[in-house]
Amino acid sequence: MNHVVWAYSENEGVSNEVASAATDIVKGSPGEVVVVEIAQPRAGIRAPGGRLLLKGPSSADSPGVVAEALYRAAKELQPAAVLVGATRNGRETASRLAAKLRVGCMSEIYNLSSDGQSLLGERNVFAGKVVAKVTCALPAVATVKVGSYPRMESAPGGTRELDVGGVDSPIRVASREKKAVGAVDLKSAKVIVSAGRGVKKKEDLAMLEDLAREMHGALGCSRPLSSDLGWLPEEHHIGLTGVSVKPDLYLAVGISGQLQHTAGMKDSKVVASINTDKDAPMFQASDYGIVGDLYQVVPALRRALSAHG
Amino acid sequence: MRIAVCVKHSVDETELKLDPSGRPQLAGAAGKMSTFDKNAVEEGLRLKAAHTGEVVIFMVGTPASKKTLKEALAMGADRGALVLADPLAVDSLRTADMLAAAIRKGGPFDVVLCSEGSSDTYSGQVPPMLGELLGVPYAGYARKVVVNGQTARIERSLEDSVEILDVPVPFAASVVSEINEPRYPTLIQIMQAGKKPVEEMDGEELAPPGAYRQASVVSMSAQPSTRKHVMIEGSPDEAAAKLVDALMKEGVLSK
Amino acid sequence: MAGLDPAYAAVYTFTVASVVLVAYAVFRHSRLSSTSIGPGRLAGLAKDEARRFTTGDPVFLMHLSIALGVGLSIANSLLDPVIEYAPLLRTLILIFSVPLAVGLAAAFVWRVQVFIKSKRVEKELRSSDSFTSASTLLQGILILAIGLTTSELVLLWLPSLVLVGGTVGVARNLLVAAYYSRPSVNLIGYFDRPVSALKTPFSLGDVMAGKIEPEQVHVGVGKISEFDASQKLSYDSCVEIGACEAACPATASGRPLSPRVLVRKVSLLSRTAGGEQADPLTAVGEDELWSCTSCGACVASCPVSVKHLDLIYDLRRSLVARGKLDKEKSAMLENLAQYQNPYGFKSSTRGNWAEGLGIDTLAKNPRAEYLYWVGCLSSFDQRAQRIARALSKILKQAGVSFAILGPEEMCIGDPARRLGEEGRYQELAYQNIEKLNSYGVKKIIATCPHCYNALRNEYPEFGGRYEVVYHTQLISDLIRDGRVRVPADRIRKITVTLHDACYASRYNNIFDEPRRALDASVSEVREMGRRKEKTFCCGAGGSNYWYKVPQQRSIAGIRTDEAAKTGAKEIATECPFCLSMLDDATKVMNTGMEVKDVAEMVAECLA
Ligand SMILES: Cc1cc2nc3c(=O)[nH]c(=O)nc-3n(C[C@H](O)[C@H](O)[C@H](O)COP(=O)(O)OP(=O)(O)OC[C@H]3O[C@@H](n4cnc5c(N)ncnc54)[C@H](O)[C@@H]3O)c2cc1C
Ligand code: SF4
Ligand code: SF4
Repeated sequence: MNHVVWAYSENEGVSNEVASAATDIVKGSPGEVVVVEIAQPRAGIRAPGGRLLLKGPSSADSPGVVAEALYRAAKELQPAAVLVGATRNGRETASRLAAKLRVGCMSEIYNLSSDGQSLLGERNVFAGKVVAKVTCALPAVATVKVGSYPRMESAPGGTRELDVGGVDSPIRVASREKKAVGAVDLKSAKVIVSAGRGVKKKEDLAMLEDLAREMHGALGCSRPLSSDLGWLPEEHHIGLTGVSVKPDLYLAVGISGQLQHTAGMKDSKVVASINTDKDAPMFQASDYGIVGDLYQVVPALRRALSAHG
Repeated sequence: MRIAVCVKHSVDETELKLDPSGRPQLAGAAGKMSTFDKNAVEEGLRLKAAHTGEVVIFMVGTPASKKTLKEALAMGADRGALVLADPLAVDSLRTADMLAAAIRKGGPFDVVLCSEGSSDTYSGQVPPMLGELLGVPYAGYARKVVVNGQTARIERSLEDSVEILDVPVPFAASVVSEINEPRYPTLIQIMQAGKKPVEEMDGEELAPPGAYRQASVVSMSAQPSTRKHVMIEGSPDEAAAKLVDALMKEGVLSK
Repeated sequence: MAGLDPAYAAVYTFTVASVVLVAYAVFRHSRLSSTSIGPGRLAGLAKDEARRFTTGDPVFLMHLSIALGVGLSIANSLLDPVIEYAPLLRTLILIFSVPLAVGLAAAFVWRVQVFIKSKRVEKELRSSDSFTSASTLLQGILILAIGLTTSELVLLWLPSLVLVGGTVGVARNLLVAAYYSRPSVNLIGYFDRPVSALKTPFSLGDVMAGKIEPEQVHVGVGKISEFDASQKLSYDSCVEIGACEAACPATASGRPLSPRVLVRKVSLLSRTAGGEQADPLTAVGEDELWSCTSCGACVASCPVSVKHLDLIYDLRRSLVARGKLDKEKSAMLENLAQYQNPYGFKSSTRGNWAEGLGIDTLAKNPRAEYLYWVGCLSSFDQRAQRIARALSKILKQAGVSFAILGPEEMCIGDPARRLGEEGRYQELAYQNIEKLNSYGVKKIIATCPHCYNALRNEYPEFGGRYEVVYHTQLISDLIRDGRVRVPADRIRKITVTLHDACYASRYNNIFDEPRRALDASVSEVREMGRRKEKTFCCGAGGSNYWYKVPQQRSIAGIRTDEAAKTGAKEIATECPFCLSMLDDATKVMNTGMEVKDVAEMVAECLA
């Protein structure tokens, strides 16, 4: 075992986050962070300590194939830890790799650190009510919570290639399609922008739809907007008689916050709301509140988001 | 068609109590069938309805968690297997070890189903590990499963894309909640399910750990659970900028 | 004279035979359905009809005219050979025949109008052609029977046409024997079964005590043959009078349900070949069953005492047993199972509304005179919590000793029972009763009529016997006894209309007390047309609060319109569900009306 930490994600942006997380562990000796790539190098990858390109598999599309390639390479090169971005594919990759290596896999951790003997991190459990500190002796496998680290900015280092041999998958991919925007399942959305009767016209929903898209989230609404006004299909309606959601962020825009509505979003991790009425019950159910006109605050929010890039 | 479905008796996060120092009181905490596991059971039952056969429920848990097994049986599964071990004391890989051994013992199975993740710890690790340990093709996050003879067509729902796969039978898969609407078992049906056969086995005996390194929990503490009620002041632009800052710090703005 | 005429002899013989046939048919159906129709029942019915007579309800008077008209003409036809020896009797018959003939004529016109409406409803419900023609036939026969009876009464005045009258009578009697013997038996047997009565399909207590195995428990009805005899009689007794349909809020809101059509579909299905083995759910839709708010208007309005609700509950139970619940309904039931409240809130937070109000829990003060049963809405819903606070304020001012269960209270179970999950309901009921009995609770106050109804009418069957008082009753008593005093200058100058909650008024005859409480706290109460036991639902009952049903307009909206037409500025409610529904509707419709519980209106006037 050496002190090199591997970072991998099939998603470019997430890969750069994982590289930052890995840098945290090796405490500023970025030379020990190696970003792993499968089959082909990608242009947007930032890898201060260089990249390791695994040749053999034809693509990085299948988590099973990636896990096998990582396994073969890890056997040979013995990294101290393999960190994988906790996307859906990433969770599968890391879990399968851990099973092959017969080590436990730390799941969706943030605040990573290492004492040289083991890997430490924190993760949210019990619907975000509890933070667990978790650990595993090195060499370890872990997935890193998406969005918990800034993306690595530095220029890529050199590339090393390793041929791990061909990896076959018994699974055939018949097709792969982008999900239509807006067709995001509210239940699995990480961010939900939710519109209430504070929105005056159906056309104004476009502004909130744009905001939701810019936050990589989905658009929800209070019942009157779907059931009484018919501005949105029923599946957008959140609450007692609609869907129950638990996103990381719930942004209530022009929603008064009656119990029938809040019953459906009470388990959200962070709640923010915008309302003209400072006494709106929605503020009682929120972490952050802005008293103001949504027609001013929402455009301002979009400007602030784009400023952060 | 023989279908194995894995379920977990999860800690009920709504009823969870924290002690004054903020540690969750897990001893004797209320439990329930993990929310999405109901979708896995439902999908198993649908496959059985379409192809005839048998649905067997597998669970790693303590005797106190039998309630969940009974609920799955009440939904319509035929038999159950309870692997005795404390799911909060073993990590995902050990859980998968035990489930894999129990499924081998009760096998062969054509389909092994799990849900995408449990409602208490939501690691989503056991299903892919199980696929790996059983040595069968694995497809995670399925939103549609149709078995056609010796292959299954599976739609995987990823963050921003959908993959349609042809997977040879036997296979393992995890399902997402949008795949179906699980049926509600009535109280009487749950009582009736008490008569269905459940085999009990000891987890450590069934799957000796061998050489392996466990991932373990060092400590747990409360995340501030009540809402913060921070009112942000200033002009729309100032307030918006402050809000974005705060949300970035919370780590809830995915980029 | 007439005795010598062979034609007369023949008609008379037929008359007697047809009357015997009617008597036989009635007797036979009472036997088949083991329904008691003895003199005691008849006397009871007569008393009840007399009571309803005094209410002067025109629809009831028309139905009474039909029944009495038939009776009178039968009596006359039997007495005909000897009537000339009893001139006084003949005169009496002639006198009576006049108002009855008028009533019958009115009934005839009304029937034709009902017929036209019923065809419109069937069109909206997209009823099958075979149903529509069966329904047309039955309504035709009813209209014919009314017509025949009317003409018979008219013919009484024309002795020369006695043979015509006799023949008409025979024809009508044959129709009565064939079509009206069942409804008669049903009416005599069940006129006094309360709207709140509900069949308990099994006892969970027996299952838990091991007296019966869970496998032996059969819930719901999967085959026509599984209805018990009295239910079959009930459904076969429907003669398409249509009173239920006219009263039904589900029909009025354009939901896919008419109680008349529902009952008739089941009855017609049972008469098809192999009908006994048929599954009623092949004829009845899921949304049709979920549309019902259990308001009881159908049962209460049916002139022949058909019990629609038994059918609806049995079929809902079948749907639940077959796993036919969408996620709203199953989530509600799962929440009840896991958290003992339909919302899914942490059960230990149930008493949080009372924090800082100085209200004891029974655990702290087990000797309190009253237990205040708060219910789920007033425990968790911020708006409805104000009802609980208002009542607490009133009770404290009056010096009433009371306590709450706080976190130890659980849902009463009504949402589970009305949805058709009997087991879950009984589980909650047994747990609640165990708790109440362990504290030795004797008197309970409720602010939710669903809780009140369960505590008062249902829990005794499971071993929970308490003196239950509704908050409007207690408040009105406290005002009467001077324990609560509203100074004249604090009576609010405002016009209010009262929305009676179905489960308080129609189910439990509570309607004068809330009015007395309002009279003491506001300057004017204006009544809506549909009020007291004839109230129109808010749309929440029967578990409807917890799910959506396809509809053309909302039931709460219809009711809000009605309330707005009185010109009242505020709507008084007496049920947290009604409050929530009407509050929502007044806002959606921008009526500017406020909605408040009676307790809040009284509490507002107190210092
Ligand atoms: C049985 C039942 C079930 C129900 N189920 C649900 C359910 O599942 N989900 C649900 O959502 N509702 C449900 N409701 C309805 C619920 O009671 C509320 O009526 C509803 O949630 C209110 O929606 P809203 O907040 O959008 O509208 P409102 O209550 O009208 O609130 C609008 C808010 O917008 C604010 N506002 C106005 N203009 C602006 C502006 N320019 N900028 C910013 N803010 C502004 C106002 O201050 C106000 O707070 C149910 C009701 C009943 C009776
Ligand atoms: S109980 Fe009410 S809603 Fe249900 S069928 Fe009867 S009248 Fe209609
Ligand atoms: S909620 Fe109110 S009006 Fe509606 S059924 Fe119940 S008592 Fe009747």
